[in-house]
Amino acid sequence: MDKLKIISWVLFIVSIGSILFALIFNPASWIVYTIALVSIPVSVLSFGIVGMAKGNKDDEEGKRREPFIGY
Amino acid sequence: MNLMLNILLNVFIAFFIGSILIGLQRKIMARIQGRPGPPVIQHLLHTLKFFIKESAFPKTAAMPFYVAITAMLFVIWVAAVIDGPVTEGSLLLIFAIYTIQKIGEHNAGSSSGSPYGKMSCVRAVYSAAAEVPLFAVLIIIYLKAGTMNISSIINYQSIHGPLLFTIPLAAIMFFVLILSKSQYSPFAITKGKDIVSGYETEHFGLLRGYLMISESIAWYMLLWVFLTVFLGPLSLPAYLIGMVVLSAIVAFINAVTPILNPNHSVMMQVSFAFIGIAGSIVLLMI
Amino acid sequence: MVVSILGSQIIGIIPLGDIVFYMTSFNLFMFAAALVFTFIIAISKTETQIEAEFGSLGDREIKVAKKEFKFRRFLAIICGLATAGAMVTGDLFDFTLFVCLIGIVNIGIVGAVKQVDVLDSAFQYGLIAMIASTPLFVGASLILAATGTISILAINSLTYTTPMMLFGSILLFLGVAGETGVAPFFATKAEMFRTPGSPFLLIIHLSSLLIIVRVIEILLIINKPF
Repeated sequence: MDKLKIISWVLFIVSIGSILFALIFNPASWIVYTIALVSIPVSVLSFGIVGMAKGNKDDEEGKRREPFIGY
Repeated sequence: MNLMLNILLNVFIAFFIGSILIGLQRKIMARIQGRPGPPVIQHLLHTLKFFIKESAFPKTAAMPFYVAITAMLFVIWVAAVIDGPVTEGSLLLIFAIYTIQKIGEHNAGSSSGSPYGKMSCVRAVYSAAAEVPLFAVLIIIYLKAGTMNISSIINYQSIHGPLLFTIPLAAIMFFVLILSKSQYSPFAITKGKDIVSGYETEHFGLLRGYLMISESIAWYMLLWVFLTVFLGPLSLPAYLIGMVVLSAIVAFINAVTPILNPNHSVMMQVSFAFIGIAGSIVLLMI
Repeated sequence: MVVSILGSQIIGIIPLGDIVFYMTSFNLFMFAAALVFTFIIAISKTETQIEAEFGSLGDREIKVAKKEFKFRRFLAIICGLATAGAMVTGDLFDFTLFVCLIGIVNIGIVGAVKQVDVLDSAFQYGLIAMIASTPLFVGASLILAATGTISILAINSLTYTTPMMLFGSILLFLGVAGETGVAPFFATKAEMFRTPGSPFLLIIHLSSLLIIVRVIEILLIINKPF
């Protein structure tokens, strides 16, 4: 588990938690707007990073170096 | 209803209907060109599929800017959904969101270090110069309705009839704007196939799926703004029918027009904007 | 007291002596967007641009040197803060000063690169920006002369538009258009984006588009068609 995965797990749990908080406790509207603006995109992105497939190590380096030329 | 639930529901509807409409547009275009075409849910499937694809971030990219810019694009369209269907707030805010979307396009292109993205980034600057005057259609709406608030504009229309008939040139201007944001549009110079996928070239895997979600929401929101601002208070089925009809018209135009070269595209959009603004003001004075 | 600007309600004002910042949902959104972009730029690495090599199949990487990087990042942050300020200021003269600062800083951001054609376009843009600062300030001062105030909130509560206010706002718009390099002047500016060092170029585009949106709001406040 690398750093990126850990960060995205944390972000995912925090954003889903804040969305649930807004759903259940119904705070003032400006708080809900802030939570919606930040948490919905972050939760989708972090979910994507958590769930994305990774290639094997050797191919990975080549893809990172020359993404628009090779493979 | 619970505000958060309302927002979540609206964002989901915007994404779902937006991607179905984009799929429908591709289907219609294919039939006009004599191809069977992909299924209508293809765009939705693609979006979901990209999330489970293998992803890597290029070494040349400006991190974390390269990832953050996709998130910014999503954030601004969630803001548009909140300002539009949820609260019916300021129309000027939609204008601001649209300009930030142009900035997002520009920077998604330039953040990766790829020459295709760079090309698309330079073109995004050109097209912003043409599309921002088109959005000046808002001024004409303000001159006519006397307000920049979406709910007040709806009220105005329920009394005076749809704005589509009172300021038709402004409606055409906005339609050209919708056309330039559509897939395979003659004005889509930032995503022309001569530069692979334009600013999206280097955003593959999950970032592409992420970008496609905001694309779908953007398409839904533009159609929503057009229908709300020019046709007044509509019921839910009327919105759906209106969106399908607009997507079909756009598909017809896109199927029969080639993509223009950047200079021609910009000149054409600017001419539309000029005729629209000057003509509308003359019509308002008469 | 409920004050509404262009149909949207004012959320709050921040009185700082003569300079009054006011916020509607529109101003707040743009202010936040400018700050967020500035923050992302401040923490980002710069891109490495890949260019094809002429006459062979290879390609070369163009990196931005560390000294140049630091200099440009500094200017980009200044530009971002000036943009954010211009989004919320309720003072017309303040707004023109912010716009002027943005114009100067924009030239600085590309002024540090070593590509001749990019420097050329930066020079041309600089000329236009300098010329445009005259109508910019003249426009603001004509509006002051016609209304007796430069507070946008006070102008918002006026009920009339005199021809001099209209003339002043046309000059103001010309000034902003030249200073930010939009519509007729954009050709020189688009060339500036070809240089490597992505995240800093963002702020040039961001500032000019946001300023244009904001100036449309200000012009609609000054000129009331009814």
